[in-house]
Amino acid sequence: MDEKLTTSTIAENNTDNILEVRHLNKYFPIAKKYRFVEPMKAIGVRIKRLFAKDKSQIEKPPVKFSTTTYLRAVNDITFSLPRGTTIGVVGESGCGKTTLGRTILRLYDANGGQIIFNGEDITNLKQKQMRKYRTDIQLVFQDPYSSLPPRMTVGNIIAEAVKVHKIVPKEQVGDYVRTVMQQCGLQLQYYDRYPHEFSGGQRQRICIARALAVKPKLVICDEPVSALDVSIQAQIINLLKELQNTMGLTYVFISHDLSVVKYITDQIMVMYLGNMMEMGETDELFDNPLHPYTKALFSAVPVPDPDVKNTRIILEGDIPSPANPPKGCKFHTRCSECKNVCKFVEPDYIEAAPKHFVACHLYNKEVMSNLSEYDRQYEEILAEEKRLEELKQQKGNKREKRQKGTKKEG
Amino acid sequence: MKKKNNNYISIKDSRKIIKENIKQMRHYEALKRRKKEPAEYTSVMRDKNNIIEIDNLKTVFFTDNGTVMSVNGVSFAIPQKKIVGVVGESGCGKSVTSLSIMQLVQSPQGQVIEGEIRYNSDDLGENENGEKLAYNIVKMPTAEMYKVRGKDITMIFQEPMTSLNPVFTIGFQLDEVSFTHNPEISKEDAKACSIDMLKKVGIAMPEHVYKSYPHELSGGMRQRVMIAMALVGDPKLIIADEPTTALDVTIQAQILELLKKLQQEQGCSVMLITHDLGVIAEMADEVVVMYAGKVIEKGTASDIFHNPMHPYTIGLQKSKPLITSSSSEPLYSIPGQVPNPINLPNSCYFKNRCNRCTERCNGEYPKEIQVSDTHFVSCYLYDKD
Repeated sequence: MDEKLTTSTIAENNTDNILEVRHLNKYFPIAKKYRFVEPMKAIGVRIKRLFAKDKSQIEKPPVKFSTTTYLRAVNDITFSLPRGTTIGVVGESGCGKTTLGRTILRLYDANGGQIIFNGEDITNLKQKQMRKYRTDIQLVFQDPYSSLPPRMTVGNIIAEAVKVHKIVPKEQVGDYVRTVMQQCGLQLQYYDRYPHEFSGGQRQRICIARALAVKPKLVICDEPVSALDVSIQAQIINLLKELQNTMGLTYVFISHDLSVVKYITDQIMVMYLGNMMEMGETDELFDNPLHPYTKALFSAVPVPDPDVKNTRIILEGDIPSPANPPKGCKFHTRCSECKNVCKFVEPDYIEAAPKHFVACHLYNKEVMSNLSEYDRQYEEILAEEKRLEELKQQKGNKREKRQKGTKKEG
Repeated sequence: MKKKNNNYISIKDSRKIIKENIKQMRHYEALKRRKKEPAEYTSVMRDKNNIIEIDNLKTVFFTDNGTVMSVNGVSFAIPQKKIVGVVGESGCGKSVTSLSIMQLVQSPQGQVIEGEIRYNSDDLGENENGEKLAYNIVKMPTAEMYKVRGKDITMIFQEPMTSLNPVFTIGFQLDEVSFTHNPEISKEDAKACSIDMLKKVGIAMPEHVYKSYPHELSGGMRQRVMIAMALVGDPKLIIADEPTTALDVTIQAQILELLKKLQQEQGCSVMLITHDLGVIAEMADEVVVMYAGKVIEKGTASDIFHNPMHPYTIGLQKSKPLITSSSSEPLYSIPGQVPNPINLPNSCYFKNRCNRCTERCNGEYPKEIQVSDTHFVSCYLYDKD
């Protein structure tokens, strides 16, 4: 995979980077289906097996397995994250944002690619070896209502990981927890309270305090503000930013709220159906979005000003099922500038501007100059497909005839 | 020792509250069950051009911790053929207001204890003085409400995933609306009407969707079906309770566009409830800002967005990062949190979080002050007396 020049340049070898992700893949198998070749006979055999004394004498019914298919949740993702900065991962629901975050944490095992944390490859470490990195990478969950244990007090929730990882000596745990609480804007009298006594914003503060108590270097924030009210959102965003300045944290900020992402991040990655569509520095990306999907996504955000009449690009239809994604460019089914090339050739990453990568044929000069050539190829593919379909039909007809014949004989 | 602001109450207190609650609930339920003459539940519209007038509405919930004043003296009007947006944080009573209009408040715990909701209906005609009669939904018996609910006033709920019945086909659920409000309609006509509505909301294969079950559709499609269902009865008012909160941005844009288009085509009013100021700015003609069960500011969209007056409205607008601006200064955030809705004091509820609080704010709750023809605000800062 490393021969792909364009993608490897995205993640250059740099010791300043706390996290490098190269060609990361995560596939989920879709349940293997099997069926009996002759279902009625199979039932008879099963009944026989139930009552038989020697089961080994009765043959098992013939079974046909379908080939296992995979849901490509994260597909060839590459990025690098310098220390003390924030990367935003945006996209619609079901595009693999959360899976990406969890794969980086090694909560899921990657199916391919590399995760390099602090210069060390952690992709294939075993659970035990992984433990020493667990304190370095932490996660803040989306829903503060369901991610806190209801039967533990706030103090115990924050202290638990501190005790397990022996961050501070036993005697100092209480004091240490209190300092962390203060940092996160929690009053000290909350120490002995239970999560249900708090509002959403306070709970999110507890979640952040729990993550920060083990002195992490990288925090993955999985939609930390989307369950909160607007006035509380601002408090949490300010807290996250302040903590980054004081503690030098690095964030992977997963969100679907573009205005929040714009405010807090240094670079942005736009995902669609598990693939990276566009990546670049935040200001550059917002000033000059290239990919048609990014453009549509940005224009869809409502602006709180009644006089602004923005020309909105409305995408037709829904996201295709990730279990059965379209061929070629994943976005071509909803794209307004779709060419024939997009329907069968997967686009490469192109560095359209410095540090601004886009996966779209429109910016590939080589492809754009040979459009007619690709059109011809596409027609050939269509013709081939048509021919195969006809063949299939003919076969089906023959089979039907044969079956009819046997029935008559019987 | 009794601590103040404690989240716990003693068993003794709790029993007392429960006893009192049962008494109250029985009282209000008995009022509801009583047979009523039409004169008791009709009223006179203040303005003929309004479709709904809400006047000093009070909806409470009797809970084991005390009485929650969810809606505490709300009054505003929804004009004909306009979109009225209601904004506020969660728990400020915007959904309960809409449920009160539909008479769907969870009873017996939830009761409308005071106020009027006047619905401008064409069936009633005029009284002796030549004024147009209107239904008062608060006092309307349930049997009468059946004729209005789902036909003239319809509702689009927040979660399209849970508000459709999973065991019936889309077609069955759409036809049901036609059958309920017009028992003589034939099966074919109901089906034709349903498919027509599905076409109207932009569903590509209406015949196919008509036969399918809710789980076979995506979130955006389900919300479209909900909108189609709301349109079947040819409504005068559609209440959209956070119609796009559960959806993605691109799908949200589709649904909002559709709502706006349909509102113009059908000439109905829309009450749009949301917490997203961006959505409100795009859609609404008039805006109502709610906080802790009260309307704190109302006016036209340009009043609220270009000339916000209440410190809460100003704070709310400042605290949302804008996609168009590129500053990296800390966001303005309103300190503190929404007050506990039980036992609210009789003073401005926002006073503890307000940065422009004066001594007068310790007095009783500020009255609504008219700033311009369309702009109302309840805050002492603008009270000249």
